[in-house]
Amino acid sequence: MTFDYHEPRTLDDAVQLLARYGEDAHLLAGGTATVLLLRQGLLRPGHVVALRAIPELGGVRRTADGGLRIGATATHRQVERSGDAYAYSPALVEAFASVATIRIRNQATVGGNLAHADPAQDPPPILAALGGAVTVRSSRGERSLPVEDLAVDHFTTSLAHDEVITNIILPALASGTRAIYLKFLPKTADDYATVSVAASLRLAQNGTIADVRLVLGAVGPTPLRLHAVEDAMRGRPPDRVGDALAMIPEQVEPLDDVRGSAAYKREMARIWTARAVARLAA
Amino acid sequence: MKFTNSATVAAPRDKVWARLMDIPAAARCVPGVASVRPNGKDKYLGTLAVQIGPVRLVLDGDFAIIARDETAGTASIRADAKDSRVGGAIRATMNLALAEQKGETEVRIGTDLTVIGRLGEFGQAVIKRKADQLMQDFAECLARQVTMR
Amino acid sequence: MSTHRIHFTLNGARREAEVPADRLLIDLVRDDCGATGTKLGCAVGVCGACSVLMDGAVVSACLVPAVFADGTSITTVEGLADDALTPLQDAFIREGGFQCGICTPGQLIAATALLREHERPEPAEIRTWMMGNLCRCTGYYGIERAIDRAARTTA
Repeated sequence: MTFDYHEPRTLDDAVQLLARYGEDAHLLAGGTATVLLLRQGLLRPGHVVALRAIPELGGVRRTADGGLRIGATATHRQVERSGDAYAYSPALVEAFASVATIRIRNQATVGGNLAHADPAQDPPPILAALGGAVTVRSSRGERSLPVEDLAVDHFTTSLAHDEVITNIILPALASGTRAIYLKFLPKTADDYATVSVAASLRLAQNGTIADVRLVLGAVGPTPLRLHAVEDAMRGRPPDRVGDALAMIPEQVEPLDDVRGSAAYKREMARIWTARAVARLAA
Repeated sequence: MKFTNSATVAAPRDKVWARLMDIPAAARCVPGVASVRPNGKDKYLGTLAVQIGPVRLVLDGDFAIIARDETAGTASIRADAKDSRVGGAIRATMNLALAEQKGETEVRIGTDLTVIGRLGEFGQAVIKRKADQLMQDFAECLARQVTMR
Repeated sequence: MSTHRIHFTLNGARREAEVPADRLLIDLVRDDCGATGTKLGCAVGVCGACSVLMDGAVVSACLVPAVFADGTSITTVEGLADDALTPLQDAFIREGGFQCGICTPGQLIAATALLREHERPEPAEIRTWMMGNLCRCTGYYGIERAIDRAARTTA
């Protein structure tokens, strides 16, 4: 590894460094992913731009409209321990608490997690299921995009090389919305999921499904939002969605790996989504 | 890791074969391939630039046509390439088979890919998917090139 | 490669170092500071042998850039006890919480952080917290008993 390390104190300075060094610069947040890639020689930037000294990128806070703002450099542990986050959605806290080990959660940041785009990670599905969006800054300005549009392939986001995630904004949840994060971990407790399901659900007065979001992790090159299954479920009583759930094995694109065969994961995706929906509707 | 890719070309088999056997031209159908040059009979050198997320690799390699049978419409290519900066290598054997039906030719490519060293740390599933995408792009590009002539 | 002058405390003592950008915290602690109690295990942040406290939080020293130590307070296993062993260290001895000892510094660091945050953790809480510190020798029961004993002793 041979690089110059920069520790800008403001977001503007960070953005200027990215504009100056372009593809030769790589951002460093917590370091759990980047340090490994640098050590393995898979990443070879000339410049590493650290975000740790920029105060405005931290913090976890309820917003005035009842949503939640998570700063890009907030750690997983900070979200896990945040009273504001728990009040917003216990499922959000549970998802962050399920990540790896306490050491990783102390070091790894939410923004870094989203930028890394490993499809088996826990935070992106729950952030997407809750309707989250990221704000992104570059020397060209600021923009916002839904979390579910961020990852476009394995380890690949739609971000330009000079863009920094600054915040993750979760909207106020419609009254009666419940959310859940289920992580199927047949191997060790510190592992990535074989299949994970993030779901949010709101029932109408008559008990049918008014709103539902299903986002699955570890079964495709990115977290997968099951739009077709959601469409088939809306308006139905939650205990009459078997045919919608039966679509799931064909809607996911898992690969064979050490956590399970593709065929197994297709079936587990259906089963664990069914469990998530049943628990939310109970 | 093994995978199969195919594409259908709206052209007779002998045209597709001729295009395939023009190795430098056919190689340009693999995204990221550059500087393909001959290195002896049925042997070539070239580089392949591949990106997986933030990781950029430049594989320097040689490949050779190790078998060909124009009558049967089959050929085999062996490729060896390494990224000396990252410290890893790939070896691939590609078996091509052309089958004509009603003036159209199906090109099937069966690839057997082995990843050695540092590159393997990336995760077999991700590598396989990337290689699969490259081979599919190759097959589709070949189909377009032949029909455009 | 840039180099950086960093200031930090290690086990309560003020330290200063000049580190290249690619230095890791574990190398700063072991090689630059001579505190070899922290062990390098898997080198990918999974095994927990290299656990240290950074401003009170358990982290894998093999994953933390040394430059991140600037302005922080680092505690390693050498910094847990003054003259006498802590109740936790004593409990590890009494309950068979170690055999070869290679994971033990990491176990002690992680358990220290646990007991600072939860005075009397339930067995399930101990297991969840300590889950990331691997041990090839003890089968973990001795470690768990030791932590439980230490919690009852100090509480």
